[in-house]
Amino acid sequence: MKIDVDWDRCEGHGICAEQAPEVFSLDDEGELHHAYDGADIPDEFAAGARSAVGVCPVAALREQT
Amino acid sequence: MTAETTVPRYGEDIYSTAAILDPYPHYAELRALGPVVWLSRQKVYAVVRYAECKQVLLDDETFISGDGVALNPVANRLGRGTTLNSDGEEHALKRSVLAHRLTPKAVRKMSAEVQDKAEQIVDAAITKQWVDGVDDLATALPTSIVPDLVGWPEEGRENLLRWAGATFDSLGPLNRHAVTATKAAGEMLAFSRRVVRDRSVLPGSMGADVLAAADENRIERSQCPALMIDYLAPSLDTTIGAISGALHLFSQHPDQWASVRANPDLLSNAVNEIVRYTSPLRAFSRRAVREVEVGGVVIPRDARVLVVYASANRDPRQWHDPDSFDITRDASGQLGFGSGVHGCAGQGLARLETQTLLRVLAERVERIEPAGTPSRAVNNVIHRFDRLPLRLVTAERIAS
Repeated sequence: MKIDVDWDRCEGHGICAEQAPEVFSLDDEGELHHAYDGADIPDEFAAGARSAVGVCPVAALREQT
Repeated sequence: MTAETTVPRYGEDIYSTAAILDPYPHYAELRALGPVVWLSRQKVYAVVRYAECKQVLLDDETFISGDGVALNPVANRLGRGTTLNSDGEEHALKRSVLAHRLTPKAVRKMSAEVQDKAEQIVDAAITKQWVDGVDDLATALPTSIVPDLVGWPEEGRENLLRWAGATFDSLGPLNRHAVTATKAAGEMLAFSRRVVRDRSVLPGSMGADVLAAADENRIERSQCPALMIDYLAPSLDTTIGAISGALHLFSQHPDQWASVRANPDLLSNAVNEIVRYTSPLRAFSRRAVREVEVGGVVIPRDARVLVVYASANRDPRQWHDPDSFDITRDASGQLGFGSGVHGCAGQGLARLETQTLLRVLAERVERIEPAGTPSRAVNNVIHRFDRLPLRLVTAERIAS
């Protein structure tokens, strides 16, 4: 699975980083980093990544279909 | 407009004073009736279960905000021009003018100031020992931060809390609360117009950003007063509701307060659980621009749809034992801040304020004890305490 970040919408609330810390993280500046941007997310992180999509407060994450 | 015969109907008024004070039994009945219920009194489709609330919030092309999010046409007309009542590109533009000041990244720069204010407020409260959790703690923090951030001039600040509460109250159905509140909400808009005309906003504030955006022709000058209110009105009562609700909950659950004291890192998720459990904002509405199916119910074109966040946050289909407060549950999916393009722009600041105040309290206060009967505010949209008598017990006091 792949997840796209809509960078125009992302406001850096960081809720995704709590759900899937291996995939999403906030740096010291508060900017979001997507460790698998454009790449397949390993199966072991997929469940966390899906729940990150579900809880993004501004719906900035989308699972590629 | 009439409901489909297959849609369950609910005849009780969920905006009567009694229901406003204790809405949860009504929400439970509504959820049991179905995912979408026709409210005979308000003549709207209420969406009351978690999954369907989320579906409506995420489908902002079908369920628009541009005709208002209130339950009455007067407030929907007064709210024209706000970010709250706009859609699509217009909404994105308005949100971009101000929301960048409120992102977690931006509010992080304010964390030292919030910490200072929280320490002063908590120290003063500890000295008093018997406090009103609403006035002495929950209200004190946002009112010491938000007016400066938005840049509201010193003059007129004495009216802010009343105006902001009334602005929410006016968004309910046209009951007698809303009629009184609409007058006060109008006063706030008139004051905001004067502030824009006189350019009396504080330098460097969000209000100054709004004027700069108009000077640069990114937005129209006529939009400025509404944008000021957009960010000022929602940032007081909501946070006051969350903080006072948290204080009440921790006074009822001393074991969970002890857990927070032992491990303050729990507070990050605890804020989600606090917002889930207290839902400071009950519900907002949308208008369906096409016929659409939600939870098996066909909602006709042009129908008004009420998204009941507070009910979604207690839906047993989504939450295990939803009426129990548990700061260790994963409550990150709560809908208290809404969701999607209209998701609360101030939630970063709200989280910072709530977490900081609770962390400072946890460092210094061993127990938060109930010290009298609390009472709730009567407001069509905001669900919060009006008075919350508490006793703050420090370690020294226990020792002596």
